Amino acid sequence: MPEESLTAVAESIRAGKLSPVEAVERCLERVRKWDGRIRAFITLDEEGALRSARALETEAAAGRWRGPLHGVPVGFKDLCQLEGLPTSCGTRMPEYFTSAQGCTATRRLLDAGAVSLGKLNMTELAMGAFGDNAHHGDADNPWRAGHVTGGSSSGSGAGVAAGFFAGAVGSDTGGSIRLPAACCGVVGLKPTYGRVSRSGAMVLSWSMDHLGPLAWTTRDVALMLQVMAGRDAADATASRRLVPDYLATLDQGIKDVRVGLPENYFFQGVQEEMADGVRQAARQLEALGARVVEMRLPDPQHMTDVAMLIARAESSTLHARLLREQPEALQPTVRARLELGVDISAYDYLQALRLRATLTRAFIRDVFEEVDVLLAPVIPEPAPSWASLKTATVEEFNARSGRFSRLTRPFNGYGLPALSVPCGFTMAGLPMAFQAVGRPFDEGLLLKLGHAYQEAAGWHLRRPSL
Amino acid sequence: MTEKQQQQAERASMLGVIERLAGELALAEEPARFIAALEGEDEAPPRA
Repeated sequence: MPEESLTAVAESIRAGKLSPVEAVERCLERVRKWDGRIRAFITLDEEGALRSARALETEAAAGRWRGPLHGVPVGFKDLCQLEGLPTSCGTRMPEYFTSAQGCTATRRLLDAGAVSLGKLNMTELAMGAFGDNAHHGDADNPWRAGHVTGGSSSGSGAGVAAGFFAGAVGSDTGGSIRLPAACCGVVGLKPTYGRVSRSGAMVLSWSMDHLGPLAWTTRDVALMLQVMAGRDAADATASRRLVPDYLATLDQGIKDVRVGLPENYFFQGVQEEMADGVRQAARQLEALGARVVEMRLPDPQHMTDVAMLIARAESSTLHARLLREQPEALQPTVRARLELGVDISAYDYLQALRLRATLTRAFIRDVFEEVDVLLAPVIPEPAPSWASLKTATVEEFNARSGRFSRLTRPFNGYGLPALSVPCGFTMAGLPMAFQAVGRPFDEGLLLKLGHAYQEAAGWHLRRPSL
Repeated sequence: MTEKQQQQAERASMLGVIERLAGELALAEEPARFIAALEGEDEAPPRA
């Protein structure tokens, strides 16, 4: 069971072939065996998970079903506030973040019947692209020991790939859902800004933060998004738009969908093997009926700069007290990144916010008049080894982290939905991925494209040899 | 150039780009128009 997709687990439980308690116990068995190496968890809640599973089993026996995720084991990045469990946000303080309200997205999944196995490892304060954590341990890649998982939602990506749970919630401020999804060979979705409420989750940058799902398949992610998305009175930035039925359109195919391959920015500085993986995926999409064209984009570097400046200013402001009063509590790389935002002027910050609106409007107009979806690499190189990073100075480490997230960050600035889908493996056996990027609130098309690709390519059927 | 010097150069370049592009912004441009752009409710503001 732990190696099955979230959809398959949900269906097995609904068909009476698997009980919620069995599902949880099998996952826990795997966690006990492997999490010493993977380090996906910060707080493993065995007792709470089994208690919930027993309650759900009793309800199922009585014919009462809470929702489409009844009995399905999931995990939550440790910046989501969840009743009864501490929220460290990857810091050394178990209760760094508290909120009067629980995390809305998390609550919606639990209300739909999901079982929480606990809180997941992450880069401290969600700042960093690799998944390093000096307090809770560096997460390790299930596909190849000694390699990064990607970050900051390291435990979310690694835990799904290791079969510790069927789905996970992550957050993405500069790529933190898509990077671990790409490094760990699973699917991850950064929805449109406003599609999923951020209420009850630690803020890193209120302008750039997004919450979203990670799981084995696009169908799994569609199911999770269906549950998580929608308006929320507790989050003023949550869109009031109705949530479409993503699953109803998932199998419609992608005939005549216009797919753009960027000529500028996204293939520059990308290792040839990774770029070839994405181009090969584009050919596969063409074979499925899509029309692939190469196109020049309005320079994404401008938005990368704007998004970086806004995120730095906001994160330094939000975590100023920690930086001022307990700088020694922060790991050096994170402290250095927070310090970068302290002296950004109000003038530069506000100009960046104004520019963001102009750049977004122009990008949507210029790109999506020509194509329906953009296709680009997620990571410029395969998940690097920890050994190659651990000898770096703080400045070198952060510079490399910045380069590792340069392909994902622009879409946090634009606020556009971006789906990371595995598209094969390097010669060394590490996962490759593409990101499909769409119009605002057009997650349905991205999910349709990702699903069609996965069904044809079959990469999602492979599992790491744990 | 050391990594620290490179970081300072990148920051200066980033601020330079933002300063140059901001010079072209319409007077009516404001941060809230980002949400309006996503929601499809916004047209470009008139040039000053």
